[in-house]
Amino acid sequence: MRIPCPYCGARDASEFAYLGDATLTRPDPAAPDADEAFHAYVYLRDNPAGAHSEWWYHSGGCRRWVKVARDTTSHAIAGAELAGGAR
Amino acid sequence: MTSALDTFPVTQMPADGHYGPAGIHGVSVRVFDPPALALLAARRGGASALTVAAHATLGLALADAPRLARANGLGTIGAGPGRWLVLAEAPEDLTARLAPLAAHAAITEQTDGYVGFELSGVRTRDVLAKGVAVDLDPAAFPPGAAATTNVAHINVTFWREPGEERFVFLVARSYRVAFARFLIASGAEYGIAFAHRG
Ligand SMILES: [Zn+2]
Repeated sequence: MRIPCPYCGARDASEFAYLGDATLTRPDPAAPDADEAFHAYVYLRDNPAGAHSEWWYHSGGCRRWVKVARDTTSHAIAGAELAGGAR
Repeated sequence: MTSALDTFPVTQMPADGHYGPAGIHGVSVRVFDPPALALLAARRGGASALTVAAHATLGLALADAPRLARANGLGTIGAGPGRWLVLAEAPEDLTARLAPLAAHAAITEQTDGYVGFELSGVRTRDVLAKGVAVDLDPAAFPPGAAATTNVAHINVTFWREPGEERFVFLVARSYRVAFARFLIASGAEYGIAFAHRG
């Protein structure tokens, strides 16, 4: 599988480290329901067959996090953007 | 079957010399210590201010892309968004020269951190095809194109020099022996001249 890094270009997946779901938002640790919210954030995952938005870290290249739109059934990649919005 | 590399300990650089069939010279490797090297990393939100300052004070054109540019004895190589390696052509106090950019960038001295490998010769791309997973066809990777990638599990930054089949690799110093062994193991069949110079 090749991931199209917006800075480096298409690179083999072995240059990247996988983090997972890019749609999650880290809960507020000061909120009254923080324990439950963090349990869900850390452990509860959907396992979608199809479109998925996910984080990959380009450790072997530009050292930036990339948000990748990947189809989990075909590995077809619909797009990729750098975290933080730059570029 | 034994190879020339079997006679060298894996902790030491292979000796200068010719590896492979006698009379065949497909690739030349020149190992060199960078005269001066630094990393320039734009501060958050400061990439455009850094680009302006680098051009105004040092005459450098910092493209935010994996490319090599040269001006005033310095080569700049894009290593990531807002980050450049700056390689001097001659020994100098590079961090002092870059100091006017300190308001816009973190400047990290790297001269001793890397070793350079310059590859040239008609079979250079045949050697690199055994470890580089980036398309090096001149149409896709013309002179001045650069990349940071893994070669034989070793992280490198490299670029293509102008002219025929000439590439320069910067390799973290502690990986230089492993990278040299990759080059010799991969290049011996084409005849490889290996030398430390400059
Ligand atoms: Zn990248």
